[in-house]
Amino acid sequence: MPEVAIEAAATVAVTASGRRMSPRQWAAHRPASIAARFALAACAFVYPLALLPAHAASNKVRISSLSDVTFGTLASLSIDAISSQSVCLFSDTLASRYTVTAIGNGPGGAFALTSGLASMPFEVEWSGTPGQASGAQLFPNVPLSGQVSSATQQSCNNGPATSASLIVVLRSAALSSATAGTYSGTLTLLVAAE
Amino acid sequence: MQTSRLSRLSLACAAAMLHSAAFAATQGTLGSTSTGSLSISASVPSRVQLSGLTDVSFVNQDPATAALNAQNVCVWSNTSTRGYNVTASGSGAGNAFTLANGAALVPYSVEWAASSGQSSGTALTAGTALAGLTSTATNATCASGPSSTSSLIVKISTASLQTMQASTSYTGTLTLVVAPE
Repeated sequence: MPEVAIEAAATVAVTASGRRMSPRQWAAHRPASIAARFALAACAFVYPLALLPAHAASNKVRISSLSDVTFGTLASLSIDAISSQSVCLFSDTLASRYTVTAIGNGPGGAFALTSGLASMPFEVEWSGTPGQASGAQLFPNVPLSGQVSSATQQSCNNGPATSASLIVVLRSAALSSATAGTYSGTLTLLVAAE
Repeated sequence: MQTSRLSRLSLACAAAMLHSAAFAATQGTLGSTSTGSLSISASVPSRVQLSGLTDVSFVNQDPATAALNAQNVCVWSNTSTRGYNVTASGSGAGNAFTLANGAALVPYSVEWAASSGQSSGTALTAGTALAGLTSTATNATCASGPSSTSSLIVKISTASLQTMQASTSYTGTLTLVVAPE
């Protein structure tokens, strides 16, 4: 678009005289013409920038306010153990959209907790709104797309304090199949602009 | 001065260690992608479950023949060895294994085997745990894997049967407590 504006102005300058310039005349006018071209080019570059909103999307994202999940000693193995936390997900894209990918520390990124050689699977869910006890199930290394953030500040220091929910679930089937012990693992969340 | 510096350094190190221990979660930074991580921990306590029990009825029992009832039950243990112990208690005085009809009492015996399909096992003493048992159950109620894991055997000797009055019902309750090992 800026280049079109420059050519249009140049054409007007030529046709405004209504006649062709001699080489001498051209030489006399050339410095001004070049200066005009620079000026027009500068304007053409600056003008669109001036029209841009103050907070243009930069396609950057940030996940923060994550907390460790500690289930403690599970009193009952016959019911699901669920831990939900509200986190800050900021997306500076035009539609505040993002994708989230979860990776566990089991083989191939599997969601698994370990206690020595014993292993216990867990599930991960994600919701694009905070305060949720359930959400869309995440699968290891598979991005969940179409998420929209309500955060207005990268660390949720103002605006909504949180913008998404992370839910970790230990199914009763897994609990009742697990050998007694203390299990631990890590969960990594990769967020990308969309 | 040297001591003060060392103290401050120690405090700083301690604080850093405490901080890292208490806040293991890492937060993402602003960028085209952002990565955060957190730890997950859970403790699964030692648990056992006894299921598949059925009432025992001896009907029109011939006093000349010892009465025997064996049933397959499910014992599940989630310890690393799948170990458990079992304690039986009767409804008689001092948890004795007795059936009663009013004041008339008839003793019976209880045996346990850590495998199913058995008609004899280790004799249980009322209120005393039989230890060192191992379960093969892979599901808490044996809904999958082996359908039963153990045998409970109840017996009434001919001597006891012959003390019973004909056409009279004797009843009692047997309680089994299983604990993880």
